[in-house]
Amino acid sequence: MKLRRLSRFHGLKRPRVRQTWNKFNLYNLYRLREPSYIFHKTFFQQKWWAKAATRAYHGEHIKERKWELMFNRRLLSAVDMDPAYLAANDGSELASGRGSGLHQRVAELRMAEDGEGTTGRDGTKPARRPAAPCATPYMQMTYAPLERRLDQAIFRALFASSARQARQFCVHGAVKVNGVKMKYPGYLLNPGDMFQVDVDRVMTATGRRKPPANKTATPKKENTPKPAAEAADGAAESQEAVKDEAFEELDEAAAREAALKALERIKEHAKLIITSTRDDLSAKRKRAFRALIRDARSAHWHVRKSDSPLEGTDNTIEDLAAMLLQLELSPAEAKAKEKAEKEASEADVFGLSQDERKIFEQLVQADKENPIDPSKPYATPWKPRPYMPAFAFIPRYLEVNQKICSAVYLRHPVARQGLAEVPTPFPFWMNQLAFNWYLRRG
Amino acid sequence: MPPRIRSSQALLLNGCSSPLLSSFTPSHTVAAAAGAAQTTRQCPPSQHTQTSYFSTTAPLELTRLRRDFETWLRTQGKRYRDPTPGEPCRYLGNTKQFSPKGKVFPLNPEFISQPVLSESAREKIWRSVMVDAQPLKAVSAKYSVDMRRVAAVLRLKAIEKQWEQEGKQMALPYAKSVLEMVPVNHLTPERPHEPINDIHVHGYTMQQIFLPTSESREFTRADAAKAFGEHILPVDQKMRIPELLAFEKDLVKGEERRTAEENFYEATTKSERDIADRELIKSQLEEKRKLRVDTDRFEFRFEQISVDKAGRKGRSRSAVGWRYGVPYNDRRRGVVKIPTSVE
Repeated sequence: MKLRRLSRFHGLKRPRVRQTWNKFNLYNLYRLREPSYIFHKTFFQQKWWAKAATRAYHGEHIKERKWELMFNRRLLSAVDMDPAYLAANDGSELASGRGSGLHQRVAELRMAEDGEGTTGRDGTKPARRPAAPCATPYMQMTYAPLERRLDQAIFRALFASSARQARQFCVHGAVKVNGVKMKYPGYLLNPGDMFQVDVDRVMTATGRRKPPANKTATPKKENTPKPAAEAADGAAESQEAVKDEAFEELDEAAAREAALKALERIKEHAKLIITSTRDDLSAKRKRAFRALIRDARSAHWHVRKSDSPLEGTDNTIEDLAAMLLQLELSPAEAKAKEKAEKEASEADVFGLSQDERKIFEQLVQADKENPIDPSKPYATPWKPRPYMPAFAFIPRYLEVNQKICSAVYLRHPVARQGLAEVPTPFPFWMNQLAFNWYLRRG
Repeated sequence: MPPRIRSSQALLLNGCSSPLLSSFTPSHTVAAAAGAAQTTRQCPPSQHTQTSYFSTTAPLELTRLRRDFETWLRTQGKRYRDPTPGEPCRYLGNTKQFSPKGKVFPLNPEFISQPVLSESAREKIWRSVMVDAQPLKAVSAKYSVDMRRVAAVLRLKAIEKQWEQEGKQMALPYAKSVLEMVPVNHLTPERPHEPINDIHVHGYTMQQIFLPTSESREFTRADAAKAFGEHILPVDQKMRIPELLAFEKDLVKGEERRTAEENFYEATTKSERDIADRELIKSQLEEKRKLRVDTDRFEFRFEQISVDKAGRKGRSRSAVGWRYGVPYNDRRRGVVKIPTSVE
C-alpha cells in the first residue's frame, strides 16, 4: 500500500496532532485549542474541518476509503450493573408511581448505597460518584473501529513510538498473533487475540537512540588477571611474572627472557613438590607431575631456540601454571579450598558493611538486567526515549505484559458513564462533527 | 523574460569554485552564517574583493514559531522529558486544577489513563489460580478484575515463566520503566480494579417505547426486556458472573455472609468443572467420529463428510475440500486476503 507523503508531518505553522511520541507533536498537542472562529462557518465547513483534524490523528496512514468502509454508526457501550441492587429490586420500582419511577426514592437509594460503599467496583471512590448519572460520551467512540487494527493496538500497547512504526513492525514480520506471524497491519483483532512483538524492536522503538558509531568511545582494554592465578601461591607467581612483565609492552627478547623465567619457575616448583612430599603422593599424581615437568622442559627448549616464533607461548605457560595449581591439591582439598574462598569472598566483598553490600548487590542486579551491550541497536544501558512519559498510557481493552512484549486484546473499546475508551485528543464536539461527516446524513 | 536575480548569498560566492558552493547551505543561525563567511575566505585571494567578508542580507534566524517551540521545551516542556520514579501520569492534561489524575489530553476529559495491573498484582492472580487452584470467577470477584483480564494475565504469565526457564532475553528495563510511567494498581481490597459486571448495551434497548400497562401490574426488568424485543434477555440473565447475583440474593434472603460466600465458592467451582466436562465430552465425540489407521509411517485419520454440505452452488463455507468446476476466488483482484481470525 502506498502511504501518504510525510511533508510537514509535525509542522508548527499548520499543526496537526499525530499518533507519535515526537516532541513537536507534544508541543502541537499542548497548543491544541478549541477555536471559536469555526462556529461562524457553515455546518459543512465545520464538519470538513473536524474530519480533517481528527483524521490527521486517527489512522492518518490508512486510506480514506478504507476507513469509510470500517466506519460504523453503531457505537458500543457498557453499563456496570450492581448485583446487590439487582438482587434487592426486580425493576418494578422504576415503573411505580406515575409510570416513570419514584424519583425521590431512587435518588435516596443511590445516595444510601454510596454512603455504605457497597458499590464502587468501577475504581472510583464511592463518595465521589455523582448522584445524577452523567452522560455516556458516545461521540468519542467515533474512531473505535480503528482501534481494532493490529498496528493501532501495537501503538496503544506502547510497543512502538508511532502508529507508522507499528505498521512497519507488522510489514517487516516482527509481529505474531496467537503465535503465528502476521504481516498485515490491517488485521482486525478479535477479542482474546494475543499479539507479540519482537523484544529488540520494542526496545529500539521506545529506547534512546544509539549515538553514531564514530562517536562511541572505544572501551579501554582491561588487563584483568585470571581468577585461577589469583589463588595460586607458587604457580601463580610464575603466572604473575608472565603477566607483569607483559609481552605486549616489551620487545621480543625481553619477552623471551620472561617466558623462560616463568617456565623455569614452574619446573622448579613441580620438582619441589615431588621431592618434599615423596611419600604422600599417589603414583597417579606423581606421574602427572612428571608429565608436567616434561612439558615445561619442552616448552623451555622451544622458547630458547632463538628462531622459533614466540606466539602461543604465554598460553602454554598459563595452561601449565593452571595444571600445576590443580595437581598441587588433592581433589578433596581443592573442593575445600574453593568453598573456603567462596565463603571468604561472601563474608566481605572488598570489606563492605552489610548495608553497603546490599546496595552493591542491587547495583550488580541492575547491571545484569540492563547491561551495556554495544551489539544492540539501541543505546545501552536502555533508557526510555525523551518525552515518552507524556504519551504513556494503556487503555483498558488491552492487557499488556511488558516483560515479554506481548498483549491480549480483551474486548472492543466501549463507552461508559462519563468515560470513553478510545484515546482521542479532541473534544466531544469535534468528534461529533466528524461522526456526522461520516454518517453522510447530516 | 528577464534573467532571475540570484540571491545575494549566491552572488557572494560567485568567485569561488564549485565544491565550495555545494558545501554552503543557507543557514538559520548567525553562527553558521559566520562559518560560511570563513569558508569564503579560503578562496584564492586574487579573485576576491572586500565584499566577501560581509553580506548585506540579514542573517536568517529561527522563525518565531520555532523559537517559541524551543523556549517551551526548555521551560514547561522540560517536565515531560524524563520519567521520575514514583511519579506516574506525566500527562499534558494532568494539571493541578483538574481532579482526576490520569487525564491525558487537555481537551478530552472523557479519556482517563486508568491504572494497569502491577507486577505484584499479576503474580498474585497467577498464584491464586495456578497454586491455590481457585476458580477463575472467584478470583475475578475477589480482586474485582474482569474475567477476561484474569485469563489474559494467566496466559501471558505462562509465556513469561517459560521464557524465564529458557533463559530468553526479556525486556526488563522497558517493563520497569513503563510501569513507572503509567498508574498501577497493586490489587489491595480497598482499591478495586475495574467493573466486573459490565452489561453490553444492546441496540434494541436504546429506543424509547411507549408501552401502556395497567397500574396494578408489576412491570419488572423481564417485562421490559420482552417489550424491547422477543429475544432480548433481562439483565439478570446477562451477568458475566451469575453466581455473584445468587450470592447477593442469598444475602437479601437473610443468609449469613459466611455461608453465602461458601455457596458462591462452591457454585463457581462447579461451573468451572462443568465447562471442563463439557469440553471433554465434545472432544471425545469428535474423536469418535474419526477413524485412525496407524501404519508404520503415517497415521491416517478418516472422517465422515457429507457432500451436501457444499450447498447448491458448491461454495458453502462449511464444505470441505476442492470441488471440480468451482474455482477458488482467493487470487482475484480486489478480494481481501487478510485473515479474519488466527487460531
